Amino acid sequence: MPDPITTAEFEAYLDEALPSERMALIEAALRDAPELAHQLTSIAGRRDAGVHSLGGIWRRHRLSCPSREQLGGYLLGVLEPSHGDYLKFHLETVGCRYCTASLADLEAQHETSTGGQSKGQSKGQSAGQSAGQSASGDEAASRRNKYFQSSAGYLS
Amino acid sequence: MQPAPTRRQPDSPRHARKMADSLADSRPERTNPDQLLVEEIRQGKPDAWTRLIAQYEGRLLAFVESRLSYRKGGRRAASEDVVQDAFIGFLTSLPNYDSRRRLESWLFSIAAHKLTDYLRREGRRPAIPLSTGDGSSGNWELVGRARKASSIARSGERRGLEDEAIAEGIQGQIAKWRQEGDWKKIQCLELLFVAGQPNKKVAAELEMSEQQVANLKFDFLERLRNLVRNQRLSEDVFPELYEG
Repeated sequence: MPDPITTAEFEAYLDEALPSERMALIEAALRDAPELAHQLTSIAGRRDAGVHSLGGIWRRHRLSCPSREQLGGYLLGVLEPSHGDYLKFHLETVGCRYCTASLADLEAQHETSTGGQSKGQSKGQSAGQSAGQSASGDEAASRRNKYFQSSAGYLS
Repeated sequence: MQPAPTRRQPDSPRHARKMADSLADSRPERTNPDQLLVEEIRQGKPDAWTRLIAQYEGRLLAFVESRLSYRKGGRRAASEDVVQDAFIGFLTSLPNYDSRRRLESWLFSIAAHKLTDYLRREGRRPAIPLSTGDGSSGNWELVGRARKASSIARSGERRGLEDEAIAEGIQGQIAKWRQEGDWKKIQCLELLFVAGQPNKKVAAELEMSEQQVANLKFDFLERLRNLVRNQRLSEDVFPELYEG
């Protein structure tokens, strides 16, 4: 049975800041249980009226989020062990969506730049990875071009 | 692709910026590459805009995709559309952006609002009535239509100050523990306040006694209560600090 939804989680839900599985669970719960929808409406109303929550402030200011460089260090396994353990906790136990996304991006970039190459791979494997690497780079370039074309008109 | 949003004029740049401040990271940073990049974008330089897109689109796409690909099946195009809307949203909300803020946090908050809009249109996310904090009508943009600008701006300004004061207080505490390598205290408070878990569960998760958790929580809240008192902030807007 899943853990009950806490007030802090409802607040994070409003900010689209919970891990995806938990977000989906809350969406389903809101449909099935009208009393939860009332609870959420009340939390949103209190927030709109200017009441603060410590979790909301913490999350919004990302007070314990690592820097991008620290996430890179975590990915490469070069952080001091206790710091690395904390990042693992922040990513996996707290489930910080922003840091998880940033780490996924770093992993994708790392994969593209190295082709996922490791010692002892055959030439065939390397060639296959190069092709994949190139395709992935092309996709990113195409996406970026699309984003630019659709938004450049808004540049002042 | 979603239709381009209508350009909106700021009711008051100062007030709009204050509203924006409350949603973004408050840690001031001295002139950094992101500040310079945003300045160039404000000047309308396409190269700078290209660089920002290249720098941030990957993490924004990962953020959106983690949610839309939760149920398998062809969500990639939708994710890209949401990110596209977020970039357009960034440009249209640029007058509200305070360059002292962390650019990544600002972009994530816009992407989160666009994602919320998308999920609501798809029928996955139930709408919350009478709330400004859910979706693109939220206060990362300009003043809402339903309330008078003066009242919103006044409450937003005060709310921003309260928010900043508490954020600085918490951050000071976290910085001290980081420096001392006392990660467990940060973990404990993160579980208590960010995840909202009860003392007992936190104690079990971190292999601490419930008494240790309770003591740490009390000390932390006491520091913040002192801060509220010293800065003459209203106690009424921080109910958690005064709960049994």
